[in-house]
Amino acid sequence: MAFKFRTLVLTALLQVGALTVGSMAMAQQYTPVPPRGMGATMDIGDQPGREAPADDELTIDPAYRRQPVYFRTTEAPGTIIISTKDRFLYLVQGNNRALRYGIGVGRDGFTWQGLVSVVRKAEWPDWTPPAEMIQRQPYLPRFMAGGPGNPMGARALYLGGTVYRIHGTNQPETIGYAVSSGCFRLVNSEIIDLYSRVPVGTKVIVRQAVEI
Amino acid sequence: MKTFLALVAGAAMALAANGASAQTLKTVKDRGTLNCGVSRGLVGFSAPDAKGVWSGFDVDYCRAIAAAVLNDPNKVTFVPLSADDRFPALQKGQVDVLSRNSTWTVEREAKLGLLFTGINYYDGQGFLIPTSRNILSALEMDGSKVCVQSGTTAVGYTEDFFRTNNMKLELVTVPGTDEMVKAYEDGRCDTLTTDVSQLYALRLMMKKPTEHIVVPDVISKEPLGPAVRQGDDQWFNVVKWVHFGLLNADELGVTRAKVDAALTSKNPDVRRLVGTDSDYGEQLGLTRDFVARMVKAVGNYGEIYERNVGTGSKLAIPRGLNEIWSRGGIQYAPPYR
Repeated sequence: MAFKFRTLVLTALLQVGALTVGSMAMAQQYTPVPPRGMGATMDIGDQPGREAPADDELTIDPAYRRQPVYFRTTEAPGTIIISTKDRFLYLVQGNNRALRYGIGVGRDGFTWQGLVSVVRKAEWPDWTPPAEMIQRQPYLPRFMAGGPGNPMGARALYLGGTVYRIHGTNQPETIGYAVSSGCFRLVNSEIIDLYSRVPVGTKVIVRQAVEI
Repeated sequence: MKTFLALVAGAAMALAANGASAQTLKTVKDRGTLNCGVSRGLVGFSAPDAKGVWSGFDVDYCRAIAAAVLNDPNKVTFVPLSADDRFPALQKGQVDVLSRNSTWTVEREAKLGLLFTGINYYDGQGFLIPTSRNILSALEMDGSKVCVQSGTTAVGYTEDFFRTNNMKLELVTVPGTDEMVKAYEDGRCDTLTTDVSQLYALRLMMKKPTEHIVVPDVISKEPLGPAVRQGDDQWFNVVKWVHFGLLNADELGVTRAKVDAALTSKNPDVRRLVGTDSDYGEQLGLTRDFVARMVKAVGNYGEIYERNVGTGSKLAIPRGLNEIWSRGGIQYAPPYR
């Protein structure tokens, strides 16, 4: 009932507005808001020791939660395709569909594109921040054992011959953004899901935004 | 003599009314504002805010045309039209272009004298289900109770889809969308079906929107796009290449943030598109940099999509069919060369 009443009011307003809105719109400036998915960044450092909630997929924007989507590709089912531009990871399912996961992309995630493969998998991986990361964030530990407070999160998929890895995070709010460090991060509950679906040897294709 | 002149004038007016000698581009430039027919209020596609500023996917197409023709995305007079009024308004010249979630069909071109300029939104019928069912495909819905709005084309499409795929169907027909949501939330049906864009809007009305997903299958064709009157090839071309320009900008990575850098790009495709190395814009009756000006005003196709109906909006509709052809979708524009 309440909804219907609102609809009626809205319709009435729009009908009145039809006569006047046109000229009003001329006077109002229109400022498009940049969509989050395309080019948005989050200036946030690593927070070792912080723990994400167990249901961390519920804390992220619905647009970035795992969901089946239409996805036309000639790549074989089981292939992972990462699109850094719009912060999505696709697990190809065949028949024009894929499971889509929202990701955060760290600075290393933007450095390279092409084909790699998963060479190792680890649960609750340890973390040894590289020297340049220590330089940027001197407060970081030199080594941190795997666990809920570890920025690597619940699982990691290591990509052969590169610094690349797909991992979890203890900062679920970074999903959908470009962030200062790391490669490709998913919330822990979703990296656990992806980890269970992906064997060692899986092909991973990384696509970057087109160069202007 | 007077009678003769009157006859000529009368004939000219008749021609103009038919659009045979229409010069919509000149009319719009002389008038200084674009008359754009939009929906009277459809979340994500066109709606005015409290201050009367219109926004939405269809609205941004009006603004893009205004940016291309008048160098100002604000020089638009939005004309809200009901479903019944929309085609007569275009036929009578009350609007220069119709950007109002209208499906491209043969009837509308053969009988109503319209021309669709392209498909800027591939919509179609889909299914909404509880996330907990963990279904990846509509083919896994054998034996489902399906909620559908009575009297819509969705009834027939649903019956056809279940029959051709040898699945048992139990239809639950309800009179309206509110009733459809209620029936689904009360557990009277396992899934709810209508056009995909509407499924996402209905999901927002639910108690826990995130506990429902739309399966990736689209079982019918509802291609939406802007339409113009027949008989004005120049204007048809302008509105068509506004769309193709926005799509090509998306494909080539020309975004609002990068449009200035694009003007001095080394990529020949980009240099042509933004007018640095081409004058196709002038040949269309615009300026050589009209694509760059549109992108600066409203962003490229992907930015328009994400802001209004995608990741930047509450609707959060995945790009799906509307992703660029090389990135998983079927949106494909002829090259700008």
